[in-house]
Amino acid sequence: MISIGFDDKVKIGLQYITDSLHPCSPFGVERVRKLRFYAPDERAELESELDNTDRAQKAADALGSLYEKIMLVLCQMKDVRGSINRLSEGACLDHVELFELKGFLLRVSELIPLFTRMNETVHAEGIAFSDPEGALDVLDPEHTRSRGFYIPDGASEPLRTIRREKKRLEQRLYEARTDAEKEAVRAERLRVCAGEDAEERKIRRTMCDALLPRVSAMRSDADAAGRLDVLIQKALFAKKYGGVRPEITETALELVDMVNPELVDLLNKKGRAFVPVSIAADRGATVITGANMGGKSVAMKTVALNVLLMHAGFPVCAKAARIPMFHSVKMLFDDAQSMQSGLSGFGSEIVRFNAALKDVEQGYSLFLIDELARGTNPDEGAVIVQAVTRYLNGANAISILATHYDGVAENARTHYQIIGLKDVDPDAIRVELQAAGEDGVAIIARHMNYGLYRVEGKADCPRDALNICQMLSLKPEILERIERAY
Amino acid sequence: MNTALFDAIRRAKTLSIVGMCKNAGKTTVLNRLLAESHGRVLGLTSIGRDGESVDVVTGTEKPGIFVPEGTLIATAKDLLSLSDITQEIVCTTGIPTPLGEVVLVRARSAGSVQLAGPSITSQLRTVSDLFFSLGAEQAIIDGALGRKSLGARTVAESVILCTGASYDMRMENVVSDTANVFRVMNLKKAETVPEASELSLADVLKETGEALVPGALSDSAILPLLKSGVLKNVRLVVKDPSKVLLSPDTLDKLAIRGVSLETVEAATVLCVTVNPVSAYGWKFDPDAFKRAVQAAVNVPVINVKEAQHDLDRL
Repeated sequence: MISIGFDDKVKIGLQYITDSLHPCSPFGVERVRKLRFYAPDERAELESELDNTDRAQKAADALGSLYEKIMLVLCQMKDVRGSINRLSEGACLDHVELFELKGFLLRVSELIPLFTRMNETVHAEGIAFSDPEGALDVLDPEHTRSRGFYIPDGASEPLRTIRREKKRLEQRLYEARTDAEKEAVRAERLRVCAGEDAEERKIRRTMCDALLPRVSAMRSDADAAGRLDVLIQKALFAKKYGGVRPEITETALELVDMVNPELVDLLNKKGRAFVPVSIAADRGATVITGANMGGKSVAMKTVALNVLLMHAGFPVCAKAARIPMFHSVKMLFDDAQSMQSGLSGFGSEIVRFNAALKDVEQGYSLFLIDELARGTNPDEGAVIVQAVTRYLNGANAISILATHYDGVAENARTHYQIIGLKDVDPDAIRVELQAAGEDGVAIIARHMNYGLYRVEGKADCPRDALNICQMLSLKPEILERIERAY
Repeated sequence: MNTALFDAIRRAKTLSIVGMCKNAGKTTVLNRLLAESHGRVLGLTSIGRDGESVDVVTGTEKPGIFVPEGTLIATAKDLLSLSDITQEIVCTTGIPTPLGEVVLVRARSAGSVQLAGPSITSQLRTVSDLFFSLGAEQAIIDGALGRKSLGARTVAESVILCTGASYDMRMENVVSDTANVFRVMNLKKAETVPEASELSLADVLKETGEALVPGALSDSAILPLLKSGVLKNVRLVVKDPSKVLLSPDTLDKLAIRGVSLETVEAATVLCVTVNPVSAYGWKFDPDAFKRAVQAAVNVPVINVKEAQHDLDRL
């Protein structure tokens, strides 16, 4: 089963997405907070959820105001599941609980016509509400359908008599002249009030008994409200970031022009744009290489994010997506926590790798590893990563490794490289740098292409580091010597 | 004059009843107002817990709060079962108290209620807004005791201040402390609010002759300024009366130096009620006590123990 820790959710930008959703009902809020990932044996359910979302997204423009009306009703829903549980256990609910239950049922009855209209277009499968009228008749026998809750005099004959007597005594209390007279009326009134309390309790008991057969319907209504709530939120999310319904495959993973919403928004604020990334991989090891500031980690995190979005029943932030269902998704990203564990950075990395590998080998998984063994010396590091890559090539998982060690890519099934400064003319940038006189690193970052390209056959020796040296006008005597060594 | 007072009490959109101490006669006053509502819909709540039939502190029996039919009551959920009105639950507020969420109930019959309303000013305001949206003509807040009651002024525009022998064994202490609270409560409303400044209070006063005091105003902050002579014919503005922690002596000194102490949020004390009988066993001479309080304040003073006389004339 896929389980993702809070830190990883934050790191890959999944938390950013769930934080950006605004579910209205307590049931929707809970669904978003406890995001659930579909397991491989729930493929049919996931397909249906993805279809629902896809149709809700496509209808979002036409049904915008209807969605808003539904959200407004959902906002007024209170979490009555505690009272429903007590009801099912045979408890006699008090006035306030019955009031809240009535409120919930009134909201459901407001929701039904709106949802029916929405469903003419969206055809949401698996979401349905039961007619609350029967339950409302129990709680509101006089059909006032007012927001308040009140046991009417006519609820029982004894109650009518008691209430009439109570009114009569109030009048007598008002008219009483002496203290003794008042005291006597008060004592009688106390007796009548106790009688009213007992009779109301009897009526509440009858109401609860009558509601008992509707417990499961009310529970499933609460669940349906939560699903509807999240469905609308997903549709609005997909509209905002251009989501697409992914195709579920057996083993192959293919993401075309995927984006990471958190970085899209972050770069937008800085007046820059996120460069969409495309990647395709299948069972075995895929290696991403490239210059250090070239965004290997961003590519990996964006893969993780979009794969997890699909498993949570969300649309995927890409132009097109084909994703298999994974047993688990494991990430080994550069982690500040490793410093706290007492082991050296390298030692704790190996411990975490071992633990993750154990999960990965339980079933078809996605395994993302960023710069394994970066903390050790380059010679040994390269040997370790080469061996890991060869091993993962045979594992029942899609493994994606980002590395800048030599000789790793040859061991992988697929090799991607960051485009980086490949297509940039160093001389042009050098001129720009001299003209601008601003921070050179920022200018280079602006020209860096964070996209990936697939390397077929043996890769050329990368020249990005050399390019950067040229652009930043490293001392010519040194540059010459570097170029000779390439 | 009593007709004028009666009108003023009726006209007040929000009315807060605050006590100097327990057994000051707050509930007697409240019940009188409720009995005199004559079909007007009142909204009733309290700051924190109030309305037990036996005083949990002193063990003396105290009057319950008896509301007429139609009254809107905001109180904690757990206390609803202790009320004997016929209840209509109107709405829940989401405001938590130790006794459960504050719930708004309409009394479908007359009866006694127990009150535990919100304890935060902003929540009190939410509740009184709810009262008005549900058709109440007046909101009454059963205020807390002592210092805290000063905060009630930020919600209510009008205040009835209740004092009594239970406050202290010596009548002169009761009178002087009541006079002091009355004075602080009745501070002038600031017509203009000076801008908040980064500078020290002394510097601001020297420069502009007026200052907004952030937070509380205490003797230890004021006395050095008095000595240095900065505080002369200037304006000091505080947010609300609860921020004034000055001794009567310091208040006098400020008045002598022509310092105008003003508040941003202001209300009017409509009258002061006195209870000459203490819950702890002693009594004051009713007439002497009433006269002494009357000499210290410039609003009507009413003896709650002579309810039939004084309160009936209300």
